[in-house]
Amino acid sequence: MHRTVPSLPLAPSVKVKLINAGFQVASDLTDMRPLQLCKEAGISQEEAVEVLQMLRDDGQPHQQRAATESLTALDLLHQEQAQGSIVTFCSALDDTLGGGVSVGKTTEICGAPGVGKTQLCMQLAVDVQIPVCFGGLGGKALYIDTEGSFLVQRVADMANAAVQHCTLLAEDTEQRQALEELTVEKILSNLFLVRCHDYVELLAEVYLLPDFLSEHPEVRLVVIDSIAFPFRHDFEDLSQRTRLLNGLAQQLIQLATQHSIAVVLTNQMTTRVSNGQSKLVPALGESWGHAATQRLILHWEGLRRLASLYKSPSQMEATIQYQITVQGFRDSPDEPRPVPDVSAVSSQSGNHSKRPRMEDLS
Amino acid sequence: MVILREGICPGINEEFIKALQSEDIKTVEDFVSCNLEELAQKCSLSYKALVAVRRVLLAQYTAFPVSGGDLYEELLSSTAILSTGNPSLDKLLDSGLYTGEITELTGSPGSGKTQVCFSVAVNISHQLKKTVLYIDTKGGMCANRLLQMLQTKTPNMEEQMEALQKIKVFRVFDVFSLLACLQHLRSNGLQKASVGGGSVKALIVDSVSAVLSSLLGGKQNEGMSLLMQVSGELKMIAKDFNIAVLVTNHVTRDGNGHLKAGLGQSWSHVPRTRVLLQRVEEAETSSIRTATLTKSSRQACHLVEEFDLCHWSEERRTSISGKRKLEERSKP
Repeated sequence: MHRTVPSLPLAPSVKVKLINAGFQVASDLTDMRPLQLCKEAGISQEEAVEVLQMLRDDGQPHQQRAATESLTALDLLHQEQAQGSIVTFCSALDDTLGGGVSVGKTTEICGAPGVGKTQLCMQLAVDVQIPVCFGGLGGKALYIDTEGSFLVQRVADMANAAVQHCTLLAEDTEQRQALEELTVEKILSNLFLVRCHDYVELLAEVYLLPDFLSEHPEVRLVVIDSIAFPFRHDFEDLSQRTRLLNGLAQQLIQLATQHSIAVVLTNQMTTRVSNGQSKLVPALGESWGHAATQRLILHWEGLRRLASLYKSPSQMEATIQYQITVQGFRDSPDEPRPVPDVSAVSSQSGNHSKRPRMEDLS
Repeated sequence: MVILREGICPGINEEFIKALQSEDIKTVEDFVSCNLEELAQKCSLSYKALVAVRRVLLAQYTAFPVSGGDLYEELLSSTAILSTGNPSLDKLLDSGLYTGEITELTGSPGSGKTQVCFSVAVNISHQLKKTVLYIDTKGGMCANRLLQMLQTKTPNMEEQMEALQKIKVFRVFDVFSLLACLQHLRSNGLQKASVGGGSVKALIVDSVSAVLSSLLGGKQNEGMSLLMQVSGELKMIAKDFNIAVLVTNHVTRDGNGHLKAGLGQSWSHVPRTRVLLQRVEEAETSSIRTATLTKSSRQACHLVEEFDLCHWSEERRTSISGKRKLEERSKP
């Protein structure tokens, strides 16, 4: 094998001893017996067994392939076209996102209190269960609640509205059959809820997610509402917080890619003062901004609720209006406003500047 | 460090090695730097045999100096400059990405790093018809966007599919998988990738900070070592195979609130050229970005160029037709 010893996933103390004994490449180690390795490197028997076990696993075809397999962009294109996305029932937002919240990516939803982040998350948890024949994914959802803002009654209302919406759309027999199985009880039973009270529980839960997802392969959505709350108070060491968050983000994107699920995270807003002006920016720091693949910022403008796509690898930036009704997250009935001049952009509410839709520029 | 084993040189057998090990000489370096007379007395090995073995080992393991003229000739014949697909960026980078070097893009979230990486990949696979290796650590690879960019370059579907086939994507999410991937590429993966697709000319890693930043700092003692290993692998791949390596990095804010590239001072020495991408302050809604050259061995630093992210999707936008302001102003 061509792996060098310093690059192997072993404890640093063990690696130092192995290197001092003169082992440079993983192939030097493969022919050793545990006792021999013990004596030559000066490590304990358990450590020697662990090292050899890890090398044997690494040599397995499927492990090696995971790191070294490559897809061509063409294969990826076919994969992406086969994967769906989760609709939000707000067609303007779906258009902005390119069909809905995409599967296989992490999406971060930031917003001031009360703007509708939890509502959107609950709506997505219902929408992921829409059967495939109606254009949905027909999957289950896992909702990790850290704030305690999950209300079952509200989800039941949204589920009811979704079922009624599908009933109106049902045309052929396949859809009608699927509709018979789609009831509010079924939707609620396909929603797994976990309550985490602090960041340690959250980290543990994410650590256990791969096993959970292997046992429940129909799960297509994981919502963490919110990821900011456990990390924002009582955390003294900010650099440790950044490291933990970055590690968490990488684990989540790995899960999203390997199990084909959509991961949705909710974040809070904080105020940044610069040049005598204050601006609302997403919380958790500058480096957290790089963690999620897509970023959606929800903000108020007077009495209107707006959603801006701030960061996306495939979609253009845009701002749309939405509203929250009894049935859940929906389109706003107002006409989209014509884009004002740049000079008229106001930041009275101190929110993130408006982003008018690009297509309206003339 | 090369371990002394029997067979690496005639004259070294099992007893020889045992005798040396009893004197705590385990590697070639230890052997050639020790005093042979003392060794001959302590180990009761013949002095002549020791000198002969040392001569052979030195011949086998020494590095030989190369003259500057030869190096220059080699450089002229093997280096290629790859255009990024965007004239303003090319101007900033002194006509493009150089093979054999690491170039770094850094910027805030949403500043366009991934878009520039896509543009480079599409340009190389379509225009230059060479293979591109794309290592994605953040899940930002979106083949649909690549297709969109290709569609603005050519309406021919076959050409688009061909270009897409030349972009090979690896998805790794932690540093050990990244190292495994890079080492595999260095040993035999690159030849495999080039068969049937044209030789590999570029390696894009998006992003290198996602896998490394959680390991640096605090009481962790392995972070630096892994960072240096990654940089070593990238440099070896760039040099040995004449490939242009493009990496992306995140930004953090320093004490005064100014943006600086992530991963610290140690990483700042690794790339040859560094570019900082930023949104234009006044109009936050536009897709105009500025690129600032922060480190370069060929051009004066702090050159700024503006470019439009929509340059790569001209078809969709009829009003703003990919204007690129080629202003060159040096920062005060």
